[in-house]
Amino acid sequence: MVHLNSAVRMLDIAAERYGEKTAVEDEWSKISFKELKNKGMAVGTALAVTSPDGYMSAPVIVYLKKSISCLVCFMGAMYSANPYVPVAYDMPANRIQKIVDSLEGRGHIITDEAGTETLRTMNIPETFSVHIYDEILKTITDEALLNRTLGSVIDTDPIYIMFTSGSTGAPKGVTVPHRGVVDYAMWVAKTFGIDENSVLGNQAPFYFDNSIFDIYSCLLTGAKMIIIPETLFMFPLKLPEFVRDNHITTIFWVPTVMINVANSGALEEIKLPELENVAFCGEVMPNTQLNIWRKAQPHCLYANLYGPTEISDVCTYYIVDREFKDSDPLPIGKACENMRIVILNEKNEIAKPKEQGELCVIGTGVSLGYWNNKEITDKVFMQNPVNPFYEERLYRTGDLAYIDDEGLIIYLGRMDNQIKVKGNRIELGEIENAAMCVNGVKGACAVFDAENQRIVMFIESETDFKLRKFNMELKRYIPSYMLPAVLKIMDKLPHTANDKIDRVRLKNSLKEEN
Amino acid sequence: MEDIKNTLRAFIIDKFEIGDDPDFADDVHLFNEGFVDSFGAVEIIHFVEEHYGIKITQRDITLYPMNTVDEISEVVYEKIS
Repeated sequence: MVHLNSAVRMLDIAAERYGEKTAVEDEWSKISFKELKNKGMAVGTALAVTSPDGYMSAPVIVYLKKSISCLVCFMGAMYSANPYVPVAYDMPANRIQKIVDSLEGRGHIITDEAGTETLRTMNIPETFSVHIYDEILKTITDEALLNRTLGSVIDTDPIYIMFTSGSTGAPKGVTVPHRGVVDYAMWVAKTFGIDENSVLGNQAPFYFDNSIFDIYSCLLTGAKMIIIPETLFMFPLKLPEFVRDNHITTIFWVPTVMINVANSGALEEIKLPELENVAFCGEVMPNTQLNIWRKAQPHCLYANLYGPTEISDVCTYYIVDREFKDSDPLPIGKACENMRIVILNEKNEIAKPKEQGELCVIGTGVSLGYWNNKEITDKVFMQNPVNPFYEERLYRTGDLAYIDDEGLIIYLGRMDNQIKVKGNRIELGEIENAAMCVNGVKGACAVFDAENQRIVMFIESETDFKLRKFNMELKRYIPSYMLPAVLKIMDKLPHTANDKIDRVRLKNSLKEEN
Repeated sequence: MEDIKNTLRAFIIDKFEIGDDPDFADDVHLFNEGFVDSFGAVEIIHFVEEHYGIKITQRDITLYPMNTVDEISEVVYEKIS
């Protein structure tokens, strides 16, 4: 009997049970469960011996190209009893700096030779340990040490910190406990029948919580995970070919990719008899494109999943079990097992059926809040207002929803300025903040053009910026997926009576153009 | 080879409204330097497939870098010769 105090115990079990079986494959190599464990332990030893003394753990920033090596580092972090922080390899140095700053001197960075070049331009505190991946892989495992570190973990300790866009410009570190991930992996395996014969085609970047589905359901069940080459997602027409050729049985992709594949026409050309589960999450999935999938690949199970980063990936799901017209909304369904959803109206009461309210989540999957930021944590993580009897922690998602006649949850939209572009969660405030850092910009307002699914940037400036040049400047502060598609330069941005930038008027000006 | 480059360059300049931007060149990274967005990649591949009657497979895409006019032309050249 093994106690799952840490999610990495799932790897220990898999290494024993499935040993030489391939755990993960990427475009360069593959690794067995046993090797993943051994390499993870080597990295874990290197991290454990360099962790600062004291009660609290030291987060491990994994700053590597998406590949098997990232997973080895995640495992290593867990063996050393530290949470890992996945960071996009193309993330601007300025944004990594903000993440480092929020960790306040406690931490590790694992990177490669090229990554150290970027780090040299930054201000990394002396107390941080910087490791080169190829070097620490050579560490001789100290099993006694790892038994101690891993033995000290309890399942409410953080497994990872994922940084998500913050409206003030500084990313927020969502801190998720081991038990949320273990619980979720069990739910995924059960709901989708994942076992050692399954093959998961991973799309989600590791800094995106959708990847938790792929990584941990494979560790739990001995299934194989294939990291689909990132370049292929630029060519959706070629994706079904890859799924077929690699005998993939389960995919969990962001709707943007699902939509692009449906629109490419490839599904009608290529049959995918081995594909069993098609799940999606991260943004609204339109029935128009889902119907193309369902018609072309009718044997698959389709599932609409919902969950913000502040939950270990997913908290509601809907198995598509009836026909939908193209114009119908797709429900986000019901709470996952061991999770509870309440919809609270403006008076903080449980909304009646069909009454709109804020979707709130309770359960093991709810995260620990934002790393080192009690102020913003307390705004959205709180006692369930309808339970005066005992402690029941609740997360307010900021998403509007209602329960329909069939008892299914219908998602309506955001209550604030958060948007989703190609599945990426973005605060418009973070883009505006970046724009204000560009020389010659006096005012900035980013607006989401929902009809064309793109970001439009209004700036007040005397300089005649061109979009490409402007975006090259912005890229120093924000990731590429946050870049605006349209730039509009104004002599003066419109203001409301109380002197705020008139967002509504700017947004309406887009409608007139459309 | 030069013919392919000329055709491809003309297509990209026209399609993505690059005009006479002095930063544009055959060896410049089209995506990192912001000349073409991610959706544009599909249009470029579609164009060369149609224009040269070739098929770029998922293996080609993962095996060969296709980020510059030079690199894409190289793949097309290999396919038609």
